[in-house]
Amino acid sequence: MVDDSLNDSKVSILHAAQVSQRVRSGERVLTILDDLALEVHTGESVAILGSSGSGKSTLLGLLAGLDTPSEGEIQLFGESLTALGEDGRARLRAGQVGFVFQNFQLLPTLTALENVLLPQELAPSSDDEQRARTWLSRVGLGERLDHLPKQLSGGEQQRVAVARAFVSHPRLVFADEPTGNLDRATGAHIIDLLFELNREMGTTLVLVTHDHALASRCERCLRLEEGRLQLMDHAEVAS
Amino acid sequence: MKAFSLSLKGLRRDLRAADVRALFVALMLAVAASTMIGFFLDRLDRGLTRQAGQLMGGDLVLEQSDPFTKELRQTLRDAGLTLSQQVDLVSMASRDNAFQPVSLKVVDPAYPLYGQVRVERGDGTETLAHGPDPGSVWVAPRLARLMGFEIGDTLRIGESTFTVSGLVEREPDQSAGFSAFNPRVMMHRDDLPATGLVQPGSRLEYELLAKGPPDAVARVQSRLDRLRDNGVEVRDVREDRPRLGGALDRAQRYLSLSGLAAVLLAGVAVAMATRRYVDRHLDTAALLRCFGASQRQLSTLFSLQLMWLAVAASVAGALLGLAGQAGLLAILTRFLPLELPPPGPLPLLMGVFTALAILVGFAGPMLLRLKCVSALKVLRRELDPMPVSGWVVIGVASLVFGALLWLYSGDFMLSLGLLVGGELALALLWALGHVLLTALLWLVRGAAGDDRHGARHAWRLGARQLARRRQASLGQLLAFSVTFAAMAIIALVRGDLVSAWEAQLPENTPNYFAINIQPDERDGFREIVENASDTRSDLYPIVRGRLVTINDQPAEATVSADQEAPDELRRALNLTWRATLPAGNRIVAGEWFDADAPAGDDRPVPISMEQGLAERLDVSLGDVLGFDIGSEHVSGRVTSLRSLDWESFRPNFFVIFPPGALERFSHSYITSFHLENDRQATIGKLVSRYPSVSLLNVDAILEQVRELLAQVTRAIELVLVFVLLAGVSVLYAALTASRPMRAHEGALLRVFGAGDRMIARIQGAEFALLGIASGLLGALLAEAAALGVYLVWFDLPPRLHWPLWIVLPVGGALLIGGIGHLLTRSVRRQAPMESLRLLGET
Repeated sequence: MVDDSLNDSKVSILHAAQVSQRVRSGERVLTILDDLALEVHTGESVAILGSSGSGKSTLLGLLAGLDTPSEGEIQLFGESLTALGEDGRARLRAGQVGFVFQNFQLLPTLTALENVLLPQELAPSSDDEQRARTWLSRVGLGERLDHLPKQLSGGEQQRVAVARAFVSHPRLVFADEPTGNLDRATGAHIIDLLFELNREMGTTLVLVTHDHALASRCERCLRLEEGRLQLMDHAEVAS
Repeated sequence: MKAFSLSLKGLRRDLRAADVRALFVALMLAVAASTMIGFFLDRLDRGLTRQAGQLMGGDLVLEQSDPFTKELRQTLRDAGLTLSQQVDLVSMASRDNAFQPVSLKVVDPAYPLYGQVRVERGDGTETLAHGPDPGSVWVAPRLARLMGFEIGDTLRIGESTFTVSGLVEREPDQSAGFSAFNPRVMMHRDDLPATGLVQPGSRLEYELLAKGPPDAVARVQSRLDRLRDNGVEVRDVREDRPRLGGALDRAQRYLSLSGLAAVLLAGVAVAMATRRYVDRHLDTAALLRCFGASQRQLSTLFSLQLMWLAVAASVAGALLGLAGQAGLLAILTRFLPLELPPPGPLPLLMGVFTALAILVGFAGPMLLRLKCVSALKVLRRELDPMPVSGWVVIGVASLVFGALLWLYSGDFMLSLGLLVGGELALALLWALGHVLLTALLWLVRGAAGDDRHGARHAWRLGARQLARRRQASLGQLLAFSVTFAAMAIIALVRGDLVSAWEAQLPENTPNYFAINIQPDERDGFREIVENASDTRSDLYPIVRGRLVTINDQPAEATVSADQEAPDELRRALNLTWRATLPAGNRIVAGEWFDADAPAGDDRPVPISMEQGLAERLDVSLGDVLGFDIGSEHVSGRVTSLRSLDWESFRPNFFVIFPPGALERFSHSYITSFHLENDRQATIGKLVSRYPSVSLLNVDAILEQVRELLAQVTRAIELVLVFVLLAGVSVLYAALTASRPMRAHEGALLRVFGAGDRMIARIQGAEFALLGIASGLLGALLAEAAALGVYLVWFDLPPRLHWPLWIVLPVGGALLIGGIGHLLTRSVRRQAPMESLRLLGET
């Protein structure tokens, strides 16, 4: 029930305890997360598996401070998210958290380069553009800097999103079904890229997916079922 | 600093978006319209003041019966004023044994301060910026005719003999106009002492004319006030500017109204475009929240972005406005004085302020949505912030617009009235819109559906889409109705103003006034005029009398101490008697007296008074007015108040007595009549047979007024174009805003098997129906608003404009259909997959 692979020698980057999330649907109250606990350490890669509608994205939103739980405590970088307001949580994320989304979330009127520049513009520095160019080259899009999202394929769009997630050297990257909108071959390329960069940058990765192949690349896999997380062994993930 | 550069960057990228371009165009048009009209009215106002100065002879005119002291003249000069002195007196000109009373004007070398004198010098007409040389006089052509002399002959005035060196055709300062009954003689100042006309007891009027900017006049204000207290007549152009007729007043109001209409239309366009802008930026806002932006950063970012846009639009709009006012002035150039003051900075500031106010009022509430975006939206697309209630948007926009109305009109009650009326009208439109859409749905439900691919099918589908998308359709319906109504009102008022002006001065408007017709000359004079003229007024008897008491109190005492007594109490009034109401007069209170009622000797006779004078003197029905006529006192009880048209070029009277009340006093007659140019021989006949009658030709004034009206008409047409452009910008903004939604619908229809033509037909039908419905509601709103505007602002009789009910629905269908078709064409060309994908991303 509780993730028992804690290793006290590692530094905790994300901590969730007794987290519940309930939503009202008409007369009924639906419990999506129920007394959930999670500990993620620096440099770790964690996959959260679950079937469609199991609450994976809800959990990811809570862990990233995009929303607050009905009950429980979540700490990001040692700070309690539940004690912070919306703006405080946003400040905590700034420059430290990267995101990769299933639907890429690129702005259609911005070029590839401008999309990668977007998170940096909140705290600009002189070499932003150079870094963005470097990162786009790094993901193989050095020649497509000025292309608008609609001129790029799905895989290319997700590569832009990956470059955007890593450009600010975040400590933690959240990925929400990063291959969900891609065909298998393209998805595999994206996964390779994601893990390669994660290793290279020493980033912590929290990944939400229903794809077992993708989850198996993570150091630790957890299953979200009936609102709680359970550790999966490798055999279970491979099946 | 960070937010500045980030917002600028964002705006630069955003320039590709249609809604940002629509916002820019709308704001630019609003600023252009308001600065154009602002610049123009400001310069026109200052120009008119200057022209009025020309009519008065100076910006400041002092008049008294003694010469002005050297000290006073020096004070005025020190304040920065240029001076000219004149002496006016009535004298007798003689030649051989003929004598003629003349109105003598003695001028100094500085004369005229404004304009030029047009003089016939024997060898042609010259325009000169000075008076006659010493030893010679210029005279009115009438005097030469009356006394039978020519240029070069001599004329004796007082004890001196002068050579007549010119005939004065036009003096720049014509304010004397109607009152100068005696023919003019103009003389050099140096010649006056030798004439011996300046004697103790002579009736001389010394005039000191001053020319200079208003601040120079303001510098001597306290001195002027003291002079007034000492009985010196002081005419200040800023206060005593002669009204160049209600026509110009109305034109100015029209321009202000048009400016406001353009601002309102631009506001609606801004609101429509902002909705799309906000929808499009919800994802950006959510992403930025995700990346760590605070709510304040978001509001700063988007507010700054729009502020840059407003500033850029203001600059472009102000330049356009500057060019526009130059265009307006070019149209009016023949009427306006040549040296107009340069454009002042105030209208420019007002323009920028207007743009920012529109942005805050019409876009502000909707922008708040961006701030409220949840970062979670990046994961759950459906998590849009609650849309701001339409009524909040309308409420805030109305408040800001009301404040602008107040600022522009300076009339709080009028602004409040228009605002409340506007809100009620919007609520009514909203309800009517509901009814219309429900009726539409009901109508198409009843229609048979046998031709599944034909035009009827398309109409049915289009109507259904419109009616089912109720909230969005109502929003558009409201915006378009207001747009059409604003455009229609500006066009309607223009048409009605122009026809009112045309009716005011028809071709056969009297162009001659005849004054001083003696009772024994009356019938003979009338006979000649009746044979020669197609239009003429009656011959009215004139008795001169001073209004001295009101309800047995001295008339001056009825005016409150802090107010100056009206001019009408300081001079004798022209009184007349008459059995019937004169043509062009209208009874507004009381009843016209019964001419046959027996007049009692001991009772005041019934009299009829002009409404405006009654208001100025605070006289109401039943009050008894006492007049000094000659050495007698006559009183009359006010039994009716009349309105009349002072610009009718007919004899008009403040007070009319019933027959039998004034006949015993010495009187003469006045009339006006129209003569064609080729019938000037009649004038010769009248002049030779009735030499003592003064004939005044008002052709020049008439021509000036006509020309003014024609030019003002052209100027307001230019303004109308601006308003129409602003209206089109609303349509563009609104249809741009709805493009993604229509693209989605089109793509879905395509997926379900509809062809390009079918989709074009369905969307065309929807646009056309929207246009027809908006046109109908717009016509209703325009009629209602026109009623109010006519009664309150323009003093025009309200009437129903039936063509509106056809032009607006048909024009609306064509206009919205046309713009809509163009805007959705590219969408229809896209593959459905792309349309659906694009929609998913916006």
